Amino acid sequence: MSTSDEESRGVLRSVLPPEQVDRFLSTCDAYGWQLLAISTLAAAALPLLGLEAGYRMTVFTEMFLFAILALSWDLVGGQTGYPSFGNMAFFGIGAYATAILTKDFALSFPVAFLLAGLLAVTFAAVIGVIVLRLRGHYFAIATLGVLLAAQQISRNLDITGGASGKILLQTPSGETFYYLFLGVLVVEMALVYYLSGTRFGFVLNAIRDDEEKATAMGFNTTYYKTAAWMLAGLFTGFAGAAYSLFNTFIDPQTAYNGAWNVELIAMALLGGSGTVAGPVLGAFGLHTIIEIVETYAVGWQLVLLGGAVIITVIGFPNGVVGTLSEYASQMDYYKHGGMAATDTDDGSEVSADE
Amino acid sequence: MAATQFVVNGLLVGALFAGVAVGFALIWGVVDIINLAHGEMVMLGGYTSYWVLTLVTGNAEGSPLLFLATIPVAIAVLFGIGYALQRILVSRVIGTDIFLTLLVTFGASIAIQQLAIQAWSANPRSIQVSFADPSMNLAGIVVPKMKLVAFAGALVLTALLYVFLQKTRTGRAIRAVSQNPEAAALVGIDVEHTRAVTFGVSSAIAGGIGAFIAVILNIQPQMGLIYTLKSFVIVVFGGVGSIPGALIGGLLLGSVEELVAGFMSSQWTLAVTFTALIVLLVVKPNGLFGQGAEQ
Repeated sequence: MSTSDEESRGVLRSVLPPEQVDRFLSTCDAYGWQLLAISTLAAAALPLLGLEAGYRMTVFTEMFLFAILALSWDLVGGQTGYPSFGNMAFFGIGAYATAILTKDFALSFPVAFLLAGLLAVTFAAVIGVIVLRLRGHYFAIATLGVLLAAQQISRNLDITGGASGKILLQTPSGETFYYLFLGVLVVEMALVYYLSGTRFGFVLNAIRDDEEKATAMGFNTTYYKTAAWMLAGLFTGFAGAAYSLFNTFIDPQTAYNGAWNVELIAMALLGGSGTVAGPVLGAFGLHTIIEIVETYAVGWQLVLLGGAVIITVIGFPNGVVGTLSEYASQMDYYKHGGMAATDTDDGSEVSADE
Repeated sequence: MAATQFVVNGLLVGALFAGVAVGFALIWGVVDIINLAHGEMVMLGGYTSYWVLTLVTGNAEGSPLLFLATIPVAIAVLFGIGYALQRILVSRVIGTDIFLTLLVTFGASIAIQQLAIQAWSANPRSIQVSFADPSMNLAGIVVPKMKLVAFAGALVLTALLYVFLQKTRTGRAIRAVSQNPEAAALVGIDVEHTRAVTFGVSSAIAGGIGAFIAVILNIQPQMGLIYTLKSFVIVVFGGVGSIPGALIGGLLLGSVEELVAGFMSSQWTLAVTFTALIVLLVVKPNGLFGQGAEQ
């Protein structure tokens, strides 16, 4: 745009050459499974290396929790192009399901956990058939309506403990939750990573890019959308199912938290939506910032969150991963004499999707 | 008759919902933005009126006329806020993915909410207006005078907006931009300015209604989202960009809510409203009175 802009880009290039970024990204692409395995092992080893149950472990556990939520949101919001403002409805249903099943029906936690996931998927299927017929603004607001209606219903029923919620005292240890959330996150990452290289993932991206064309090519888009939506519901439901016991308390305000819904969208967007690594990295990054703000500036976290969302959306809507891969392909543009950059490595669409 | 009383109550409150919704419909129709911070404009308008009255009388009480005198202030302040919101934030995302526009306004919404909590605490407040005889009785139906004043005020503001859009030069520019921004620019309309004015006008009306809400209900920093969503329900019902549709939608929503509250329980009003919204979206996405958006 302006010359100063060009100069700053020049400085940036000499410090961090696009070729290196490009090489880094394609290495990540080529060794995706290995990277996932190594980071899983590293995260799993942390408690053995001296991370004790307590504040720090709680923070890490919450990071995994938000990564699950952000990745689930991104499956529908980023990969398929249906921005949902109501994902927390699945979370709340999962959370209340384990709370009620373990406390009132005296089921063991693993059984309740699985049932809660099942319930969330069923709910997702029923709601999905209705709301996935809508698009754009209508879809976004309808999902927000689902979230608020679910919250109100939980507040009015007796079985959910009404507005005062449920207190859960018999809960597993902090380490159990650390490994549980980590496990769910890893399974989800592996699944999304695998799917994004399959026909299923490509059809989802096709729906995002142009749903009419996808339909015209003979894909039953309703089937794919609903499947992705149910998958997101399953993992969000699992996250909620574990959260109610992890938090030892659940009420309509925490279970169906609209601010969290925005938080997880911001995470996916900050990291880079439509990718596997983006939402997870965004969740880790933003949650760290929010944790710091909650420690040092209580009462300002929503101001910060709103500000972060606005700056991200206006500044770099492609997120960290998207902006990086854009930057990496800049040099190709010059190398190929202004021709569009073509990537020689296959599989590059996996984590650098656009 | 209980039902008649509920319907009357509903119509009185519904006019306020309608007043909030017309501004929402205007922004949606003209700028093609769902302004999720619209409810915050209602909240800020209520607080403006509250603080002006407190400044004048020492506490938030006053005669009806004194209260009515604060409304132009609320309208002016909110016009400025709305204009600035469009110029500083929203104009940067117009024409991009709708999802980004939703996020920007939602970001603004939660930031304003929390700033308001920091500034004024989360306690609900309300303006006390003193009437010699607070309610009157018409053929067995109780009508609080202040609600009647608010009802009339909301209708007047809505009518003013309608006249403004139909008769004034700026109003015609707004309608031109709504129909075709490029063609409007070609005939010399400053599109950016017109869009900002649209935001300003719609926020100003929301602010004026907010002042009435501060009198007949109460105001608190987190009240906004509910009004945004109700506006959405009303606009979907009445059709995008249709002022008469929004008016009828608002009156209807008010009546339905009061009937639900009266015959079931006030706890269920929100659940019924949003269920109605989802059903309506699926069954009749174009609304009853508008051509509707294509999406």
